[in-house]
Amino acid sequence: MAEDLMLDTAIRDWVLIPLSIVMVLIGVLRYFVSKLMRTSQLPDSKIIKEGQLIIRARNLRAAANFIPPKAFRARKVYYTNEENGLLYVPKGQGQNPQAQMFSDPNMAMDMMKKNLSMIVPQTLTFAWVNFFFSGFVAAKIPFPLTQRFRSMLQNGIDLSTVDVSYVSGRSWYFLNLFGLRGLFSLILGEENATDDTQRMMQMSGFGFDPSKSLGAEKDGLDIVQHDWVLPKFEQRAEAVLRKRLS
Amino acid sequence: MVSKTEESQLQQLENQVENRGGGAWEYLSLVRKLKLRRSDKVLKHGLTILNDPKKRSALGPDEWTLYEQVAIAALDCQCLEVAKDCIKVLQKKFPDSKRVGRLEAMLLEAKGSWAEAEKAYSSLLEDNPLDQVISMRRVAMAKARGDILGAIEWLNKYLEIFMADHDAWRELAEIYVSLQMYKQAAFCYEELILSQPMIPLYHLAYADVIYTIGGLENLQTAKKYYASTIELTGGKNTRALFGICLCTSAIAQLTKGRNNEDKEISGLAAAALEKDYKQSSPSKLSLLSSTLRSLKIQ
Repeated sequence: MAEDLMLDTAIRDWVLIPLSIVMVLIGVLRYFVSKLMRTSQLPDSKIIKEGQLIIRARNLRAAANFIPPKAFRARKVYYTNEENGLLYVPKGQGQNPQAQMFSDPNMAMDMMKKNLSMIVPQTLTFAWVNFFFSGFVAAKIPFPLTQRFRSMLQNGIDLSTVDVSYVSGRSWYFLNLFGLRGLFSLILGEENATDDTQRMMQMSGFGFDPSKSLGAEKDGLDIVQHDWVLPKFEQRAEAVLRKRLS
Repeated sequence: MVSKTEESQLQQLENQVENRGGGAWEYLSLVRKLKLRRSDKVLKHGLTILNDPKKRSALGPDEWTLYEQVAIAALDCQCLEVAKDCIKVLQKKFPDSKRVGRLEAMLLEAKGSWAEAEKAYSSLLEDNPLDQVISMRRVAMAKARGDILGAIEWLNKYLEIFMADHDAWRELAEIYVSLQMYKQAAFCYEELILSQPMIPLYHLAYADVIYTIGGLENLQTAKKYYASTIELTGGKNTRALFGICLCTSAIAQLTKGRNNEDKEISGLAAAALEKDYKQSSPSKLSLLSSTLRSLKIQ
């Protein structure tokens, strides 16, 4: 049923634009607040060591073909040796990082602060949007949608005959929430605390980083076959010299 | 590693600044970004900016970074008074700062009071045991005092934690070579090759060390690495060309010509060398030819 509803331009002036401006301002405010509140994290030596170890193991895997076979084998054993190899993480220790994360007061405070700075403004803005901007059609989405989206996008509009493309203020809020990320990275530079979606993804994979990646590196190293490329280089060098001389 | 565009930009700025063309601040920022060591120029131009109150206030918050940069340059040029003044200014502004504490310790180091500097560094490290710069300074101090074994010990401890710092590995390799501990140096160079396999410098240094250790297998390995250096530098590296010739003759000597060694590459290398010498220093060409002939005869 495609009836074209004429939307008052006043809606655009008083709903869409103010909402966007408010969200940008709140984002900027959050950025500065987070900068002020950020305590300098004292990096844990164990975590740094593991991080660097992973880099080193990864380099070994990537460039293994450049060093002599003996050297490679020696290093491989050094890393993956069952008893005291660097990458070997006994099963028991694997659970530690997460437990540590919750018991360590600093880290817990840090996470709470980050969560707060993310959740509180979002909740407030959402409540504000719902209070002021519900109950009327705010915008029309340019592409057709299925009926399933009706409950999500048309919260205040109780008419079931209105096309799903006509959405309420709430959906504009969500659009802004995800869309302004790009704008923020332009204004505020690369590192800004408004990257909510990124943070959400990060939180899910937090504590397991060290032990799992160590195990992964160890498996990777076990698999690597050493194929020394240096002899081929010798022939290539001959070709290079010949070209130079000719 | 500095890229080509940055290098040309740096040259241009340097010339401009030397000829009083202005642009001193951009030059200083570029030097700071690329972490180059041009202490005399930094000192001269930095001081002209700092002593002029108008230019100083034009810098804004970057003023303090400039103070730090000039202080370090002054320490490098042994203008301790200048350095002391800069550090005093910074101290007044940032009384409890670790960066200023580090500068003070560096001042003590420059004066030569090693024990006090050592104490200062240790106390700074206590607060922040994972500060890379201070750990490195401790190594540098040990090296400057001539305490090479102490430097090795500190550097090893540093590398136990910060394994991916290739500058540190390079430093350690050079120290080992100076002490003739070639096997350890070979290990360090292998680490460097692993982290950055396409840099011919590391291949060359590794080949040198392996060649020095000697032994048939090592000589063959060294020859391969000289070849890889040649390939990575497009055949222009004189040292690698010489290396190939030497390796071939050494291998031939060891095996008394028994094996079917590939002599082509050394012939090519010798020809390339002669061509280079003809171009750059023709007076030494005869010396080169006689050397190469003697190598082949052996």
